[in-house]
Order: sequence, then structure tokens, then C-alpha cells
Amino acid sequence: MSRIIPYPTHAHALDNGLEVIQVPMPSNGLTAYWSIVRTGSRDEYEAGRTGFAHFFEHMMFRGTERYPADVYQRILTEIGADANAYTTDDLTAYHVSMASEDLETVIELESDRFKNLCYSEADFETEAGAVYGEYRKSRTDPTFTLHEAVVEAAFDVHPYGHTTMGYEADIAAMPKLYEYSREFFARYYRPDNTTLLVAGDVDPDRVLRMVERHYGDWEPGYRAPPIPEEPAQQAPRRVDVAYDGRTLPIVWLAYKIDAFDPANRRRVAADLLADLAFGPTSEAYRRLVLDEQIVEHLDAGAAANRDPGLFDIFARVKDPAKIDHVLDVIDGTIAAHRHAPPDAERLAPMKSRLKHGFLMGLETPDSVAQRAARYVAVGRGLDALEALYAAYDRVTPGDVRDAAAYLAPERRTVGVLRGRE
Amino acid sequence: MSASAHERSGAPGAPRVDVLLPVPAEPTVSFSISFRVGSQDDPPGKEGLAYLTGLMLAEAATENRSFDEILEALYPLASGYAVRVDKETTTLTGRTHRDNLDRYVPLLTDAYLKPAFAARDFERLRSDAVNDIENTLRYAQDEELAKAALHAFVFEGTPYAHPPEGTAAGLRNVTLDDVRALYRRRFTAANVTIGLAGGFDDALVRRMAETKAELPPGAPATPPVVSPRPVDRFEVLLIDKPGADASISFGYPLGVRRGERDFYALAVANSWLGEHRNQSSHLFQVIREMRGLNYGDYSYIEAFPEGGERTMPPVNVPRRHQLFEVWIRTLPNEHAHFALRAALRELERLVTRGMTREEFDLTRAFLSKYVRHFAETTSRRLGYAMDDRFYGLEGEGHLERFVRTMDELTVDDVNMAVARHLRADRAKIAIVTGAADALAKALADGAPSPIRYATPKPPDVLGEDREIERHPLPIAADAIRVMPVEEAFAR
Repeated sequence: MSRIIPYPTHAHALDNGLEVIQVPMPSNGLTAYWSIVRTGSRDEYEAGRTGFAHFFEHMMFRGTERYPADVYQRILTEIGADANAYTTDDLTAYHVSMASEDLETVIELESDRFKNLCYSEADFETEAGAVYGEYRKSRTDPTFTLHEAVVEAAFDVHPYGHTTMGYEADIAAMPKLYEYSREFFARYYRPDNTTLLVAGDVDPDRVLRMVERHYGDWEPGYRAPPIPEEPAQQAPRRVDVAYDGRTLPIVWLAYKIDAFDPANRRRVAADLLADLAFGPTSEAYRRLVLDEQIVEHLDAGAAANRDPGLFDIFARVKDPAKIDHVLDVIDGTIAAHRHAPPDAERLAPMKSRLKHGFLMGLETPDSVAQRAARYVAVGRGLDALEALYAAYDRVTPGDVRDAAAYLAPERRTVGVLRGRE
Repeated sequence: MSASAHERSGAPGAPRVDVLLPVPAEPTVSFSISFRVGSQDDPPGKEGLAYLTGLMLAEAATENRSFDEILEALYPLASGYAVRVDKETTTLTGRTHRDNLDRYVPLLTDAYLKPAFAARDFERLRSDAVNDIENTLRYAQDEELAKAALHAFVFEGTPYAHPPEGTAAGLRNVTLDDVRALYRRRFTAANVTIGLAGGFDDALVRRMAETKAELPPGAPATPPVVSPRPVDRFEVLLIDKPGADASISFGYPLGVRRGERDFYALAVANSWLGEHRNQSSHLFQVIREMRGLNYGDYSYIEAFPEGGERTMPPVNVPRRHQLFEVWIRTLPNEHAHFALRAALRELERLVTRGMTREEFDLTRAFLSKYVRHFAETTSRRLGYAMDDRFYGLEGEGHLERFVRTMDELTVDDVNMAVARHLRADRAKIAIVTGAADALAKALADGAPSPIRYATPKPPDVLGEDREIERHPLPIAADAIRVMPVEEAFAR
């Protein structure tokens, strides 16, 4: 079986549990250095703490005693690095892209903040304002508003029931949670909950020695959060959202689906089903977008989630009077796929697309790391990514039909957002 | 990091590919086909004609295939092509794996050689374009709305005023015959620049060159005159959007373009003041980092569309006319006046005091390396090389010039360029806000605009706040306009 990543990969673990994955590749003198923490909004199981993983990502830029925020920033500025971070449901990623000769500087800086983060209560409170600003910016988008409502309706107990941004009331209350933020750092920012991903023209042995030197004394001690298991959904759910502004209506169907697992044939086939049923070459797309022209945007898919998550179908509808018709067409499409497997010849172009799409996305060290980050966090390494693409190749029409069983009415939450007329 | 293009000429007079960036080891090939036609060429009352014409090439049927057949054919290749219609240019770009060239190239070349201009496609694309303005831009993207409003405000009365996507009424007025006519007139051999990058071979170069001969010859385009009215005071446009927080953009025309020495000098000052999506940005430090008022604060000396979605500058938006622009991201309405003063005060300090040697040294060191991130991929390098053609920077391209000039500039060069081109006592200001009346009154009164924080702030911040809240921002009552959001880009 040929591998999907066309470069050699190296994986090691330090004694403290820190995993180090390296992808040596030609890169025009640039290296990408990613620190991936396997904690995201999924881990916010405590009431009043939604959005905290994302907020904490902001605090990670507030410095240490040795490198206060302005010094940290100054060094990154001197070396012309492109540094940022993001938080999602299952992970938080800190990424730096820089000239390869500056790698050791970056390793020293990053290891210091992961081991010794230290900020004042005043800094903490100020950053809460910036996070609120990010929320303000996001909430003008009706898609964000609907997403918030759909996940909240879909989950009864699992933290996937709130967005990564968190609830507004919790964001407003963040400035008071300084002590909790130290606790959060102590619980989750540990080597045994973190993977380093390094891509570029690197010498793996040399990098590993540098990592050992700078991270070897980082104390393990990850405490896994008690994430409640979501009970099986018994009946269809529906949520209608009124958007305070003008927008095209949006229809969002979310079905409960298994967690990411390359060994779960049905779950793997669901990724193909999404595109077969609702992608740009599907019957539904042709009908709703191109022929009837009543849908402006249609897509579907399921994130590779650590816990059982959602298979989403998303449509922006051009005419509020046609919402029910669009739902009927989507239902009909699902029924057809549950009833009969797709023609075998439809799978070959899909598999080709998956493979070429992946290869086309490996343009730079940073894009390699970006593609791999979720699988590193959720699947615990690049082997999961290789296993996933090998499994895609083995998907049969029967697997696709089995996957359509996920799309049963009792597993569904329908969200419909309408704007002001 | 060389972005210079070497050219391969065939027989004398034979068509040729204009920009070639060979990277033999690269498994993919990037394409760029750029026409000298853009939204500045839209006839009055038909704003959006160039945009729809571009879409009719990239997202519609050709003479050989319906659009769904095109999607079907591109699907297994995981490739596509897309169009960027800007003020001056319409650019088709695409990328595919070398293994798929035989299947991909005919699809791409048909898009600009044999568009079908099918009525069904036209209706679909037009209704989507109108929706983008009437729903998305007006109601779902306050920051982009403020930026588009600022551009319209700064270039008022010129062919640059309306967004490249047109206006709602303009789009509705465009007919399929208008599209056909524009295509015939402007999508010609005389107006096209073709670029190839990555792992291509000579046969592909020949094929792409031949497509020039398959376009009508045409005459070179004469771009329209664009002369924005000089800004000589503070002028304000408030977009009244009930329920909205405040999103602010301000700026004025800037007569400096990439390639000129002053551009690179200004790039240093601008990077220090407001490097896009960078914590080193001074505006970011003052407004977000120290005060937590919003998510980010940046400044620009070139057009930077979709700033919220990209970390690096865009390609394929080359323009003869640029503007200096400051972007203050969404914040509570009650902080808008203060944040605007804070940004103008920092700009004033830059203009009056200039950069210190230390600030200059650090920013120059940063840019010398950071500019490498502008073109990390071959397709981005191709985009820069195509833009170099527009700006007449063949030979030494913009990015090479950038790096070289960093080595040559002095702090005095930067400060003189700032003194020549930047002002802090005048600007056009566009604000999307849910408190238009209150803000209009506050701006006209010019009274101090203190803010209260939910949490304690250090004494030095509070001390500086006293200065910021009183920072002179003289705005005449007749220089403030309020526009209901429903009227934004209506016509």
C-alpha cells in the first residue's frame, strides 16, 4: 500500500510523554513548527466554562518571567516569523512558520511558554476583552448563529453542544476566572497531552536533540477531564432561529455519527457519502443549485472528531418559501442512499479526488502541518492519517449504504434560520 | 525567493507565454490568465458587468460542456479554476497535478476561449451576486462592509468607487448581451497576460501560447482616468445598521505604488504601525493588547481585500491607485469614538515624530525575513510575478526589490516618506454602527470620549487614556453623513 504523505516521517516520544513528529521535505528554507495540545472546547465539561480553551489560547501569548510578552513578540519579530494559533473542538494548535535557521530560537521560545507560562491578573482581564471582541465579530455572521443553535439542540450533555467560542454569558464572565486559568494550564498543558509537529528541510536527529534539551524537563501530569457520554438520541429535533438582520434562509441538518476511527468502515464511508450525496457532482447539487437554482450553497461532511460528533448537511436557500421543498429533496436523497448502494463507477472519481486533493494541499511545510494537525490530535499520529486514506481506498458501495444508516430521522437535528423579511 | 520570470521566446512574432516560473521537481502546475479589464470599466448604471463576465468564464458552461459536465470532469482531479475580478484586471487561476494535465488543460482553456454564455448560468450567477450584496455584505460582514464603504468614499465619483462585485441595481441592469459585448471587446490577445509555474514542460508552454492566437487580436485597452478628490479634512460616513456593534475603517488616497522606493520606505512605517494580523503591530498593541477593546487593529498601504480571511497579502489585485487604510475591528459602540481617537493619535505620533532608529532596525529586520512568507507556494510566486507585469517590474520583481531595499533604507528615508505621504489631520472615516445618531452627535461635538473598563487597568494606561479621550478630532457637522444599511451599494 503506497503512503499518502510523499515524504518520510519520523515519530518519537520523550520520557515525559511529549510526542515529536517530523516530516522532512523540500521547503525553500522554511520550517513549520506546530505545538498541538489535545484539548479544545470538547474538554469544557464544567458549567460556566464554555469558550475557555479558546480564551486560554489567547493567554498563551502573554509571556513568561524569562520572556515577557513584549520580549517574546520582539524575538519573533526579529526573525520575521509568521506565528499564530487556533482552537477547535478537539485541539488547540500553536503554529510558527520561520526560516529554517531560526528553528532553535523558536524551540526555545515555545518550550519556555509551554513550561513556564506566567501572566498577571490584569493581563488576563484585558485579554478577556479581546476575546469578547472576537465574539462580536463572529456573531454578525448568521451561519455562526445557526451553528450555535444547532449544536446546542443536538447535544444534551456532551460539550460538543457549545461552539468553540463558547456562550456569550460565559465570555462576559471570563475576567473573573484568573485562578481557574492557572488550574486549566496545570491540568491540560502537559507533555503527555501535547504533540510537536515539525515540517520542512530539517535534520530529524538534530531537531530531536534540540527538543529533548528544551522540553525534557517539562513535568508530565495530564489529568483527563470526565467528559460525559452523550446518550443515544431517540427522536428527531428541530430548532428555528430568527436572525436579526437580512439573510438568505439557512438549513442545517446535523446527524449523530461515530467518532473518528479509520478502522470503522461505516464511519470512513460516511466521508464519501457526504460528497456522493451532496457534493458538486451529486444529483441533489445539480437539481437544487444548477437546475432549480433555489439553493445558493450546498455541502455536507463530518469532522474527524474524538468523540461521536455530527454529520452536517448545509444549504443556503434563495427563497424562504422553498425551505420545505429543499428539506424534501435532502430527505429524498438520504432515503435513496439508505435504500440502495451507489453505482460502483461513482466511487473511482471520488477516491481519485480524495488522493489528489490531499496531495495538492501539501504545498508548504505549514500546509502539511495544517492538514495533519487534526489527525495528530484525534488519531494520535500520522499513522491514523495513512490508515484513513488506505481505508478510503477500500470503501465499497455497500459500505456507503451502511453509512447512510447514520442519517436516520431519530438521529437528526434540523436547524432553520430565517432573517427579517 | 526569486519571483522574477524568465521568458522563453519561440519564433519571432509567435505568441508566447509571458511569465514562466519553472520548478521542475514540483508535482503540480499553476496557471494564471489575466485580462486587462475590471470593474473600473463598468458603464455607469451597469456596475457589476465585469464581475458577471468573469464569473461567466469561470463558473458557467463552455461551448463544449455544460457547467455540471465541467464539475464532473474536474471532480476526480481535485482541481478547479477560479476567477478574481478586481478594479483593473480579471484573472483566471488554476492548479492541477502534473499527472492530470491532459484532462485539465482543455477545461481551463475552453473557459476563456469558448464561454457559452448560457442564460441559465447567467441567472444563477447574477442572483447569487445580488444576494452577496443585499444579504451577506450588508448584514453578515460588518467589517467588510465598513471597508467597502471606505473604498467607495475615498474613490467617490471615480470608476474605482463601486466594489468589484458591482452594486445591486447595476447587477440587475446587466444583460447577457452586455456580457457578450464586453468579452468580445476586452478578452483579446492584446489584453491578455499568461503565466505558468511549477512542473510544466515545453509542450504545455506551446499549448498555452497558442491560446493567445485563438483569442481575437483586439486593441490594447485604455484604462479610464481615476482621480480621487483630495481629502482635506475629516469626513465621516456612518452606515446605520440597527443592532450592530461598531466596525471602523479610515484612510485616504495614496500616490505611491510598489516598485517605487517610497513604497518600501512606507512599508516599514506601515508594518510598525499596523502589520496585518501581527501582534507586533503598534495599533494592535495600543487598542487590543493593552486595552482589550477588540480583536485586532491594522493598517495598509495597498488594497487588502478579505483581510479577515487571509494572513498574507492578496495577489491578482494590482491597482494604479492605492489608499492608506486603517482597520479597527469590531468593538462596542460606546468605545468607537475612543478607539478612533487612539488610532489617529498613534498615526499622528508616527507622522510628527517619525520612527526611532531602534523601531526602524527591528521592523526592517522583521520585514526582511517576513516577506518570505508572502510567497511560500509556487502559485503565490506566480501571482506576484503576474502582478509585477502589471506594475512594470520585469527583471527585478517586487519581492526581490522589497528585500534589497530593506538593506538600503535608512530611518531618515522612512521618516521622510512618512512626512511626504501620510497625514493624521484629515481622513475619510467609514463606520458601520448600531448607534449612528449618538455617534454622529459625539463626533460633531468633539467632546472628550472617556471609556470605562470592566476591570482595573494599570496607571500608565489610564494616564494615556486621558490624552486619547481628548485627542483633537475636529469634524464639521456638514462632514458627517448617515446612510441606512439598506442603501449601501444599492446603486
